[in-house]
Amino acid sequence: MALTRTAPGRARTARARPPGSGGSGWRRRRDVIGLVFALPALVLFAAFAIYPMLRVFQLSLYDYNLTSPPVWVGLDNFRFLFGDERFLASLGASLFYVVVTYGPAVLLALVLALGLNTRMRGSAFVRLLYFAPVATSWVAVSVIWRLVLQPEGLLNQTLNTDLPWLTSSTWAKWAIAIAAIWKEVGFFLIIFLAGLQNIPKDLQEAASLDGAGSLRRLRYVTLPLLKPITVVVLVMAVIRGFQSFSPQVVLTGGSFGTEVINLFVYKTAFASARMGRASAVAVLMFILLLMVTFVQLRALRKSA
Amino acid sequence: MSARPRARTVLIPALALLAVAAGCGSDDGGSTGEGDQIELTYWTHTHPPMTELNEQLIAEYEEANPNVNITYETIPNNDFGTKMLTSLSNGSGPDIINMDDSALRGEYIPKQLLAPIDPAAFGAESVEELEGRYVDGTLDGAKGDDGTLYGVPSEFNATAFAINTQHFADAGLDPASPPETWEDVSEYGQQLVAAGHEGFNFVYLHAGWYTQQLQTLLNETGGSILNEDGDGSALTEPESVEALQIWHDLIREDQVGNADTASREATSPFEDFASGRRSMTMIYPWAVEQIAIDNPETFENLAVVPLPQVDPANPSGRWYGYYFAVNKASEQQEEAWKFIEYMTSQSERWLSDVSFVQPLKDWEQSPAAAEIPFLDVWSQAYQQGKFDEVGPHWSEVQDAIKAAVERTVFDGQPPAESLEEASESVEQSVTS
Repeated sequence: MALTRTAPGRARTARARPPGSGGSGWRRRRDVIGLVFALPALVLFAAFAIYPMLRVFQLSLYDYNLTSPPVWVGLDNFRFLFGDERFLASLGASLFYVVVTYGPAVLLALVLALGLNTRMRGSAFVRLLYFAPVATSWVAVSVIWRLVLQPEGLLNQTLNTDLPWLTSSTWAKWAIAIAAIWKEVGFFLIIFLAGLQNIPKDLQEAASLDGAGSLRRLRYVTLPLLKPITVVVLVMAVIRGFQSFSPQVVLTGGSFGTEVINLFVYKTAFASARMGRASAVAVLMFILLLMVTFVQLRALRKSA
Repeated sequence: MSARPRARTVLIPALALLAVAAGCGSDDGGSTGEGDQIELTYWTHTHPPMTELNEQLIAEYEEANPNVNITYETIPNNDFGTKMLTSLSNGSGPDIINMDDSALRGEYIPKQLLAPIDPAAFGAESVEELEGRYVDGTLDGAKGDDGTLYGVPSEFNATAFAINTQHFADAGLDPASPPETWEDVSEYGQQLVAAGHEGFNFVYLHAGWYTQQLQTLLNETGGSILNEDGDGSALTEPESVEALQIWHDLIREDQVGNADTASREATSPFEDFASGRRSMTMIYPWAVEQIAIDNPETFENLAVVPLPQVDPANPSGRWYGYYFAVNKASEQQEEAWKFIEYMTSQSERWLSDVSFVQPLKDWEQSPAAAEIPFLDVWSQAYQQGKFDEVGPHWSEVQDAIKAAVERTVFDGQPPAESLEEASESVEQSVTS
């Protein structure tokens, strides 16, 4: 049984080999050449991604203030964090931001993608418009939104209100979410559009011939086939949400309940010079994001 | 001609140059002979009048010392502390820094990032002799717990109060009778608001500004951020709560100013007053020059008066200073101190051009001082000041203070309740 499964595979490999390329010697040479070309990137990746990551894991077990040698404290940094109200509040602020910003942003992106997935005149231009905020830096976007959200700004004028959008614990987190939704929708819209355009048209046509209306086609053809893309989008949304930093810094400086986890890490590390504690937060976030991603992928596999 | 001789003609001079450069680098302790090029780096925060004079003085110093090249950098105020601390910590910081006393005493000196002062560079036999040139106590802002001195003042500030005399006239108030107490500020403020101005407000920038303004009020009420031993919070003491209550009442109860609409431009902290929008503000000497530049009309109507008091019979104030200091990791410490000596020898120009007081003894009798407006008020303010408290992990303490003020002033939480929360954070910061 095993032999019959292996044989066709071998045959395919043999067919895929370039003519005149020789046997395993050529393959080995090709692998070595490939490795040589990849080596600079691998070295850089190891130096600037893997090594710092390992150092963060190591530092999380030390008390280190940048000037004195690190002192081993074991799990003390983690123990401290679980009882630290500021850390827990920043975790809450990040969770709020992820849910309130990326939930609506993903949903809105899906709806817009379904609407824009046509060959209407001008749809390419409309897509470009939605994508423009994505291409703009977060700092520039935040500066623009600060003007919109200030007391005499565009939003209050439009709504005929005088809400303190950026200077109130009630409103500041919502204000940042509004700005973030505006910026992030385009990113997910493009991914959804790419997914929609990969759905075979004959399936839609077959469903149409079977008498399915547009809503039924959406429910039974489009959305199920879009599921892998949706999961990717959701995983990315959670990661992007937890990595948020710039809008909070520029719009509120982390005040009024908007000190998200990355801002807390930044202040702990570079303003308070508590590198060990900041590293412990980074490790916790790494584990949390890993778990969330794992759960999301499991959910996909189960529903597939 | 073959390639080999051509390569030689290039390589030999290059190697010779390298050898000369290596010789320069091997000079012991950074002390250099005549003709050797000395590179110094100097960082400050941003304050346009100060930046301009720094650039002038650097140009003059470089002209007088052709072998010295000074790279001058200004860092945005909001990022200044973070960038300076991290760069000094990893050895990549500048040779010369200009930093406030809270950061020096709270972070840099305890972390041993600075070089002790070199009195010889100032032509003094000893630190005591150098110290004797300054008003008593004014160098304490750059001293470690053991009394070691690490810097000399580039500016030394006391706190007074500014009023816009035109606004006072608009509201039917007499500018010659400025507010003496915070109750007066409230009363006058409400009249100024009725006349269409913002009566009074605090400055809402970063945590340092929040803390220093609360500290000013704490000095007056007798409150404190830390207990006497410096290992716990004193924010829940009645005197401390009273300080925040003053802030709360002025803004939320009496509504003499709107915290939501206050300017948050860190490079121009007194923008609201300078623009002619606000009528009264706490002020420091350096701000006068900036107001003159930003808005000559407001400057025309500016009067500097004594800081309002909780108890006018026992006036209190607040000092803070910026100090020139040298990075301990600098390889050019001797040259750095020489440059600092030159900068401090220009105290008259600092006073006349930028309104920076360098508290040398009898500075008030100098020709430049005679020219500065409201000298008598500033003199009085210098008599009654004291430095802010500092303690371990002060940036976290400042964050806790900022959050407490924001909860009270912006969200309306009662001061006692808000300080109770802040107190827990402060305790945790100074003890962990």
